Amino acid sequence: MPSSDPLAPKEGALFRKILKCYEMKQYKNGLKLAKQILANPKYTEHGETLAMKGLTLNGLGRREEAYKYVRLGLRNDLRSHVCWHVYGLLQRSDKKYDEAIKCYRNALKWEKDNLQILKDLSLLQIQMRDLEGYKETRHHLFTLRPSQHASWIGFAMSYHLLGDYEMANNILETFSQSQTSIEAHDYRHSELLLYQSQILIESSHLQQALEHLKKYESQIVDKLAVRETMGDLYIKLQQPEKAVPIFDALIRRNPENVLYYEQYLIARQVSEASEKVALFREFQAKYPRALCPRRLPLNIATGDAFREVTDEYLRRGLRKGIPPLFVNVRALHQQVDKAKTIEALALQYFENLTRSGHFSREDADAGAPVEPASALVWTALFLAQHYDYMRDTDRALECINVAIDHTPTLIELLITKGRIFKHAGDAVEAYIWLDEAQSMDTADRYINSKCAKYMLRANMIQEAEEICAKFTREGVSAMDNLNEMQCMWFQTECALAYQRMGRWGEALKKCHEVDRHFAEIIEDQFDFHTYCMRKMTLRAYVGLLRLEDVLRRHPFYFKAAKCAIEVYIRLYDKPLKSEATIEEIDIENLPPSELKKLRSKQRKAKKKAELESAQAAQAQVKREQHQKSKQQATQETDPDAPQLDELVPEKLERTDEPLEKAIEFLKPLQQLAKDRIETHLLAFEVYYRKNKPLLMLQSIRRARAINSAHPELHSCIVRFMKALKADSDQRRCNAHVQQVLDKANQELIGTKTPQQLNDEFIAKNNASILHLYEGARGLYELDASKKDAAINLITSFDLSKLRLEEAIKIYMALRDGDVFGECEAKAAAYKQACHNRFQYARIFRNVEELEAQLQEKVAAKLRAEQEQQLNHLDVSESAGMADAAF
Amino acid sequence: MNIRCAKPEDLMTMQHCNLLCLPENYQMKYYFYHGLTWPQLSYVAEDDKGGIVGYVLAKMEEPEPGEESKHGHITSLAVKRSYRRLGLAQKLMNQASQAMVECFNAQYVSLHVRKSNRAALNLYTNSLKFKIIEVEPKYYADGEDAYAMRRDLSEFANDDKSKGKVADQEVERKPLCFGIPGIPHAHDGHFCW
Repeated sequence: MPSSDPLAPKEGALFRKILKCYEMKQYKNGLKLAKQILANPKYTEHGETLAMKGLTLNGLGRREEAYKYVRLGLRNDLRSHVCWHVYGLLQRSDKKYDEAIKCYRNALKWEKDNLQILKDLSLLQIQMRDLEGYKETRHHLFTLRPSQHASWIGFAMSYHLLGDYEMANNILETFSQSQTSIEAHDYRHSELLLYQSQILIESSHLQQALEHLKKYESQIVDKLAVRETMGDLYIKLQQPEKAVPIFDALIRRNPENVLYYEQYLIARQVSEASEKVALFREFQAKYPRALCPRRLPLNIATGDAFREVTDEYLRRGLRKGIPPLFVNVRALHQQVDKAKTIEALALQYFENLTRSGHFSREDADAGAPVEPASALVWTALFLAQHYDYMRDTDRALECINVAIDHTPTLIELLITKGRIFKHAGDAVEAYIWLDEAQSMDTADRYINSKCAKYMLRANMIQEAEEICAKFTREGVSAMDNLNEMQCMWFQTECALAYQRMGRWGEALKKCHEVDRHFAEIIEDQFDFHTYCMRKMTLRAYVGLLRLEDVLRRHPFYFKAAKCAIEVYIRLYDKPLKSEATIEEIDIENLPPSELKKLRSKQRKAKKKAELESAQAAQAQVKREQHQKSKQQATQETDPDAPQLDELVPEKLERTDEPLEKAIEFLKPLQQLAKDRIETHLLAFEVYYRKNKPLLMLQSIRRARAINSAHPELHSCIVRFMKALKADSDQRRCNAHVQQVLDKANQELIGTKTPQQLNDEFIAKNNASILHLYEGARGLYELDASKKDAAINLITSFDLSKLRLEEAIKIYMALRDGDVFGECEAKAAAYKQACHNRFQYARIFRNVEELEAQLQEKVAAKLRAEQEQQLNHLDVSESAGMADAAF
Repeated sequence: MNIRCAKPEDLMTMQHCNLLCLPENYQMKYYFYHGLTWPQLSYVAEDDKGGIVGYVLAKMEEPEPGEESKHGHITSLAVKRSYRRLGLAQKLMNQASQAMVECFNAQYVSLHVRKSNRAALNLYTNSLKFKIIEVEPKYYADGEDAYAMRRDLSEFANDDKSKGKVADQEVERKPLCFGIPGIPHAHDGHFCW
């Protein structure tokens, strides 16, 4: 269709040049050309030219002007598909995809078969997962260009994504019939064939899928995918004997794949543990260097057979000195008898290695050659890790100290010692050992990262950043670089440290940064929609789409979101005073001396504030410069990514609507992490504060469906009942709502009063401290006069049966006074009792004691350094060897 | 341990592993680029709980001037320190190399390694038969030189019987000698669509 407002030939040529310039990113030239057209008095108001001028300005990052000109152009020529298309492109570059879709649709009204607009529309539709719309657009494209491969592929894929497998398969089948010449080694064709088999499998047409693969096997270059899929299909189609040679060959190709062995055993139809172990022994002989055939029997064997295979496994590992030996058997510790066998074996090794240098008395008696001297160190390390896992701190430390005395330069030992302290509740001592380990191999980022993590656990954020800076890019702050690189573990640990320290704004900033990474990763899809069709990597592409659909299910998001929700709830419960209200202290009633103090304090505060704001301004300038240089650097790929608001901690923590902000983090969890009970417990906390009974009920119901015995659920129910009662006392709900709530009441507690419910809960769960704690909360919540009884209920629980995390939870509740009101004396007594039980845990220790310990540490380090300097003079020549072979 | 081809949902954990282990880091999009262009070439090593403890991120390169066929390239390879000395790096590399030959007809695989990274250099030259081709001055962002290395892949070419041997091949290491700190690779980072 011709333009609705055509230009004269000369201007028309100029206009086409503008389009060319835009494609070539020659924005300045484009503007000059636009100026030439607009300079002609006939065309000063020309819509399409004005719109293109706007789009070109957008390319230069002048967003506001861009919108102005594009809108002006559109207003001057509402019937131009060019103007609508341009407006769509502008919105798209601004990530306003819904708006962009509307623009493209308007453009198509005036030019319904425009290929470029249809293609652009289809991209937005798939990005926004408007699958029905996508299908329609792909169909339209298909009818317009049936000769293009991409038309067929996109058309088929649109049906696949909607779950219409048959149609998708039919399209692909017809397409491949029409393919005549296939090259000998055609990767794209091969990928397409595999994609078709994926569709057949997903639609449960297994026999058809198998035949498809058999027919085309010679044309498929991804041999691994063919063999894996065919083996799996033979098993599913009850032809296991045909799967045996396939998995046998796959194991030969990769003897470290657990799934191959599982499938092989299924195909061989062995069920007895002893038979399975025997088969693994065959593989051990065939592939002597492979790990799987040695390790997997440990999962299967039991009793004496387990003892035998484990004995072999551990001896081999200790003899060779394999640091991951323990982590590779850690999972077995979940079975009590297996953990006991492992402990007994390791103790036996330790005893005999100490005595005779053998793993067992039998070896010694038989005169076997002694094991390498290092075996003792590795055994001591293994035992230390074992006892640490069992949370037997004293024994773990004893073992690790033996190992360290033997070989002080082995970094793995120091790391383990740090981990033991971490588990015992002493984050500071833990980080000191990691710092030591780190200093012994400064070229290894892994140990550096672990050290930073331990520092963050000890709330030492600045130190952690400094350590990380050893590996981040020079010229940028480590924080900025880690953010740029999407280093989420670091940011989440930072957030948690800030949360522990009550620096709410800083914690929120880190949580929001993580959230933005997820938004960016979802954005990242965009370019792959066309790219993958071209490359024909359709299986991976569908995998990407499915991944992005549930991206925020990732544990990294969960952790950050949970932290953010908790902080926002805290800010709702105890809002921060705004700076203005702090000023408004009632000074009239102050005695003169106090007034003087106050004034001096205020002066100091003002000075400090001035200094800080000057620093902040400086920092702002720096940031802007950095942004600018970053922008310039990325100009090529993304000239106009929208600038996100800067995250300012002071603003974040003074939000007017903390619960709404919490809900923004909560929503993705409710949608994607609905199988985690914490999601619904968090949701309850939010809706309880918003006084939304139906949503409270929904959260309780969902939590109950996951685990009705979860201790925290009880407290939710009690508070829910209380809220309902308060509600019905004050005002009547809508009759329908009341009906639902009454029914829920009936379902949750029947005819009992909340008090009765709580008493029964306590009586029923008196062996579990976490349940008793929630019961005690209920007791106090329902009747504040029962405060002492409530506190006694939990403080009288046998401490020897308590885990450290449980003790900390209870102590913090008493100490902070949020749960049972003020109870300082009881908290102090409980702290003392816990200190006796968990002697390493920092939280139960006295400040003076800790400070003395720290000073002693510093002094000792100083002494050691001095000594080292002296020694260094003597042995500097041989010292170089220490790292390579400790 | 479990070694398998990487899927799209592994890519985020690979990035996490990379950030823990190596100084050369990339944004997620670069991982997607690898995983969606050459889905067969990247491998991961998992622990018992399915956590990723090591990975190889690999791609194909267009033929060099004067060459006919494409060759593979190792963008990044890392194994967490707590899982070293199991030979995982080598096993990951062998799987990736096999796939390069099968799916893309690669003749050889190339990589860059820091001049100072002796453990990695040892793995590549002794265990994996890489040869140093040249020194690339100031290849890394911090100014360090890199060795450009290559390994011929003809041993992986269409002989089913030799595959078993290759997959299980490993050079015995002396006890107590620590190998394989993460093997870095730099910012080949410019990729075009």
